[in-house]
Amino acid sequence: MPLLPRPATARLLAAAVRPASRRLGPASARTYADEGAHDRSVQPDPKSSTSDAPSAKPGDSAMIRQQGPAEGAPRHKPDYDVAVDYRTSKFSPIPMRVMDGSEPGEAVAAAVLSGAPTELQARTVRIYRPAKTATQSGTWHGHHWRMDWDVLEKGHRWENPLMGWQSSADFMQGTHLNFNTKQDAIDFANKQGYEYFVQEPNERRIVPKAYANNFLHSPKRLKHIRTK
Amino acid sequence: MINPTYLAQKTRTSVNWADARRRVIKSYRDWLRAAPEIQQMYSLNMPVSAIRTKARQEFERHRYVAQLPTVDVLITKSNEEYQETINYWKQLTHVLKYFRAEDDPKARLPHNFVAGFLEGRN
Repeated sequence: MPLLPRPATARLLAAAVRPASRRLGPASARTYADEGAHDRSVQPDPKSSTSDAPSAKPGDSAMIRQQGPAEGAPRHKPDYDVAVDYRTSKFSPIPMRVMDGSEPGEAVAAAVLSGAPTELQARTVRIYRPAKTATQSGTWHGHHWRMDWDVLEKGHRWENPLMGWQSSADFMQGTHLNFNTKQDAIDFANKQGYEYFVQEPNERRIVPKAYANNFLHSPKRLKHIRTK
Repeated sequence: MINPTYLAQKTRTSVNWADARRRVIKSYRDWLRAAPEIQQMYSLNMPVSAIRTKARQEFERHRYVAQLPTVDVLITKSNEEYQETINYWKQLTHVLKYFRAEDDPKARLPHNFVAGFLEGRN
């Protein structure tokens, strides 16, 4: 838990107005504190004020406590203490981390503003180029990138007891987003706080062939005799 | 002459962090001041302090936001929610959405792996 900031009263008074209570003892009784010849009984000026952002400059934090190296490292284990919103249910996966707007960088913290359920930040998203149908041979509809949600562990599908239809607790099932480039898709996933992985496409390899090569001399045994 | 609806705020951006801080605190104080009225209006079965704690919790959720435009949008959303609540445009379900974590045991995350496993959340 971060320490509470210093009481506001210390910051409201300007430095010149703060009472300077320097205890004047006999000259012979100099203490270690007198060495620097400045007021140690008065709190030092804070390095930042209320007009600064929560972490405005990289080396200089308005909060008393800076994030330690362990806290800045990416988390690979589920975080059970994360704040829940009203949409959490018994099918919601546990997120690794939930974006709260304090991440450094210029990207918009859309995860904080969009009002989307925080459990979406727990689910992994696949970014891929959908393959062309095997029965078709053109390249149209094969250049865009798609974002697809992985299947929930528990609630993705069950049989409805009344009619036997397939019911689901997964609101992202069957949803996909299309992007023009891979970087667009990655930026979107970063902005929304989704965990993602990119699946590189299998490119078509067109081998140039020449009919004359069937009749070239080969020192080895021919696999297939093309001429009678 | 079009009169704006009661409690409508004009859209504006914060000039700097001190301005944003003032607007956030003003919005927070409005919520605290309105807590008894919300309890009476929606006939909530909880003390006024619970409503104030919930307001505090929602504001604390976004305490460490680092970007000013994000803070602006959050202030706007707070003002919108405030207007909708005080003008009685919401219904009881909309207000109780904020209190689901306390009321409903299914709306909570387990506190460790074993608890989740025993619930059946593998």
